Amino acid sequence: MALLEVENLSIGYSTKKGFLKAVEGISFSLDEGRSLGFVGESGCGKTTLGMALMGLLPPNGSVTGGKIILEGEDLLEKSEDEMRKIRWKKISMIFQAAMNALNPVKRVHDQIAEAILTHNPNLDKEQALRRVAKLFQLVGLPESRMRDYPHQYSGGMKQRAIIAMALSCNPRLIIADEPTTALDVIVQHQILEETKNLQKELELSIIFISHDISIVADVCDTIGIMYAGQLVEYGTREEVFDTPMHYYTRALISSYPTLTGQRRELLPIPGESPNLIEPPLGCRFCDRCDGSGDSCKIGPPEWVDITPTHRALCGLCLK
Amino acid sequence: MAEAKPQRIKIHWIAQFQEGWSIYKQNILGKIGLTLLVIFALMALFSFLPPLIDPMYHPMTGVDPVISSSTGPSLKHWLGTDFMGRDILSQLLAGARVAFMVGVSAAFMSIFLGTAIGMISGYMGKFVDTFLMRLAEVIMVMPTLLVTLILAALFGQLSIWAIVLVIALFRWPGVSRVIRAQTLSLKQRPFIEAAKVAGASHVRIIFRHIMPNVLPLSFLYMTFRVTSAITIEAALAFLGFGDPSTVSWGMMLQWVWKTGHMFKAPYWLLPPGICISLITLSFYMLGRAMDEVLDPRLRREG
Amino acid sequence: MDLWRYIGRRLAQIVIIFFVILTVLFLVFRLAPGDPITRMVDPDMTPEDAALLIAQLGLDQPLHIQYIYYVKNFFAGQFGDSFHYGQPVLDIIKHRLPNTILLFTTSIILSALVGVFLGKIASWHKGKKTDTGMTIGALVTHTLFLPWLALLLIWIFAYKMGWFPITGMVSEDIWLDPTSQFWQKALDVGHHLVLPLGTLFLFHFGSYLLIMRSSMLETLKEDYILTARAKGLTEKVIRNRHAAPNAALPVVTTVGLSLAFSINGGALTETVFTWPGIGRELVFSVSQNDYPLAQATFLLITLVVLVSNLVVDVLYAYLDPRIRY
Repeated sequence: MALLEVENLSIGYSTKKGFLKAVEGISFSLDEGRSLGFVGESGCGKTTLGMALMGLLPPNGSVTGGKIILEGEDLLEKSEDEMRKIRWKKISMIFQAAMNALNPVKRVHDQIAEAILTHNPNLDKEQALRRVAKLFQLVGLPESRMRDYPHQYSGGMKQRAIIAMALSCNPRLIIADEPTTALDVIVQHQILEETKNLQKELELSIIFISHDISIVADVCDTIGIMYAGQLVEYGTREEVFDTPMHYYTRALISSYPTLTGQRRELLPIPGESPNLIEPPLGCRFCDRCDGSGDSCKIGPPEWVDITPTHRALCGLCLK
Repeated sequence: MAEAKPQRIKIHWIAQFQEGWSIYKQNILGKIGLTLLVIFALMALFSFLPPLIDPMYHPMTGVDPVISSSTGPSLKHWLGTDFMGRDILSQLLAGARVAFMVGVSAAFMSIFLGTAIGMISGYMGKFVDTFLMRLAEVIMVMPTLLVTLILAALFGQLSIWAIVLVIALFRWPGVSRVIRAQTLSLKQRPFIEAAKVAGASHVRIIFRHIMPNVLPLSFLYMTFRVTSAITIEAALAFLGFGDPSTVSWGMMLQWVWKTGHMFKAPYWLLPPGICISLITLSFYMLGRAMDEVLDPRLRREG
Repeated sequence: MDLWRYIGRRLAQIVIIFFVILTVLFLVFRLAPGDPITRMVDPDMTPEDAALLIAQLGLDQPLHIQYIYYVKNFFAGQFGDSFHYGQPVLDIIKHRLPNTILLFTTSIILSALVGVFLGKIASWHKGKKTDTGMTIGALVTHTLFLPWLALLLIWIFAYKMGWFPITGMVSEDIWLDPTSQFWQKALDVGHHLVLPLGTLFLFHFGSYLLIMRSSMLETLKEDYILTARAKGLTEKVIRNRHAAPNAALPVVTTVGLSLAFSINGGALTETVFTWPGIGRELVFSVSQNDYPLAQATFLLITLVVLVSNLVVDVLYAYLDPRIRY
């Protein structure tokens, strides 16, 4: 049985202008010890997906359908109290370091210890702090900086602290939401390498969310491409990167520069993403797609299996 | 390029004002505040009427020929009379006039000073800035009311305009800080650079480019300054240091207090106090509603 | 620790500001219309005593020498004699200062603590009756005219109900009685303290409540609150241990900024309640043209404001680690 199975998940937000369908009918599964990456532009719903998995949707957000099955239990059926026990213990989150994710008036080690003590009430403060010291070693932070406040850390250090905090309760699944955005390239690379090592060492299951397909391809075994709230392509990293089938995926890959290989023209994707309050009936990428046909506008596209592990949401992609 | 800006700003203002008004209308506090203020304004306007009806209704000098002590409300005197037989209602109306006069002029002056100093300080920077801000700090530390008291001790009884001037001179620092911060952030914007490159002098830049962007904030602070000016004048009059030739609400309270009627004459004690408190409340509500108009972040989300 | 350096810096600033005010006051008193000498020397004094005082205060010297005398005298505690009381000014203000400090500090601390506490609760129940009630209450109480509020409270609770004394700080019978215990005297002062403290409290807590409320609402939108929720903490813990400490910081700043304003209120309250503090003494001395006393009380009040400012700044630095480190 897979660690996480998501079936037909749909999420929306109630806004002044109407109900915004942020995520529509997403299904995927994640096995233990594997990493899955979600790539898409801003507004495609990937962060919403991450939040929903943790049960952290804002008050105006709601799950309108589907199931989130973690270790055989549907998280959507759980009460808030039950979710609170699951949060961090079974699923934890790595936030962007650029965010104000750490409380400015509390010492870093206290914040991490707090997570440990909340889920392990039998431990005392000293024991918790010793665990924090071990975590610091694991992520490469000097123990001497444990008592510092967040504002005294550099961006890279903050990111490591956030990673340490996410690992503190030995979760089964970690969701990393844009963990390296806003860091400079060198630090980005270091963190990614360390994340990969940690994953192997601790046999973690990771869901990686990013707008940068190159990062996701580096770290994740499986990639899911998201557009306008839908999953449009899903497969192993080799399949998606080397043989992208959906027109959006192809466009996404061509819009990134590469240092190796032939020099080719960078192609931006014209147009804008669709209005999710009144999404179009047909394929949502239609307006911006250079391979669209008449059938694309009439009805929603269907999944096409390219290989047993690779599928794309486009009827025309095999042609 | 830089020269065309002022024209566009003027038209932009009208459109902004209209948009602001529609947002303002939605705010309950703003509506209540505005209604109350209109009532007070009407009071101030009507204050000229009573003496015209009958000289005995004059707030300062009008004495009822029949009554020479404090009496309760009656048909002749809707709010009763004070210890000298003067009509309380006409005093109340006159007080509204004084409140607006004092409040608006003191607020206007302190905003004028505060905005000018804030702009200059933020724009010029270095010595000018440090000097002005240190000056602001020194002034802010001194309690306005007590400073006025000391000045009253030295210069004798202060006239109402002297009081207004002192209030204005001691209330500008708060505004100047905010305006200065705004100026500093505006200074970085590209359109200021463009103006400089186009050869505009400093004075021109300040008046035609910075000032229009800073004025909405000034107006917002003006509402707060009006309330503090009114309360300071009222407190001064209450303590007995007001201008004896003007009838203000604070003065009325002083009379109630000093003549020992405060427990015996609620019809005399309550109206002036309620008026001062209500006008403060209404300006505050006005300010809060304006705040919402000016700062989009404060507007109610769906 | 950097905290000491910060305190040192603020202390230096305060000393400078005080000197500026001292100097300005000096100039204003000397340069105002009228004879400056009549402002320092009691017209009822004998010519010999007057001559002695003039020499002591250096009033016959040129301006810059006078200034030196002035500063020296200030630090020596020599403010001249009060016209009205006929005693050295220092003796009078020595007795008044503690009373003001008692009233002032308790009112600020009480209104800040209650304001923060209630503001936190109001933000938690945003939109519901509790919140609306508290917000309206705060709005109304802090726009009331302070002396009038004082009179109302006296009228209702002292005059009509008779629960509290109308004026003063002490009951003479208890304090003049040699057999009275300390606790009896303390209780007596406390009894007299209730209404003036209540007045100031009612007047001030509203603004702190409103600020704390909006500060909490802003803070709850911060990213680290999301982190706290993700960690599986209960709402209560998030509210009290993560949000509130951050949200309280702007309130502390506000307390600091409004100290001069608060002391205005303090002086008015003291006057209405005949509370024997330096605020009331200032008002009284001005009405009596008792210049030495007026000058000294004004300077002392300014000093109180400055010192309170320093205390608030230090408190803020202690609460916000971003300042210290």
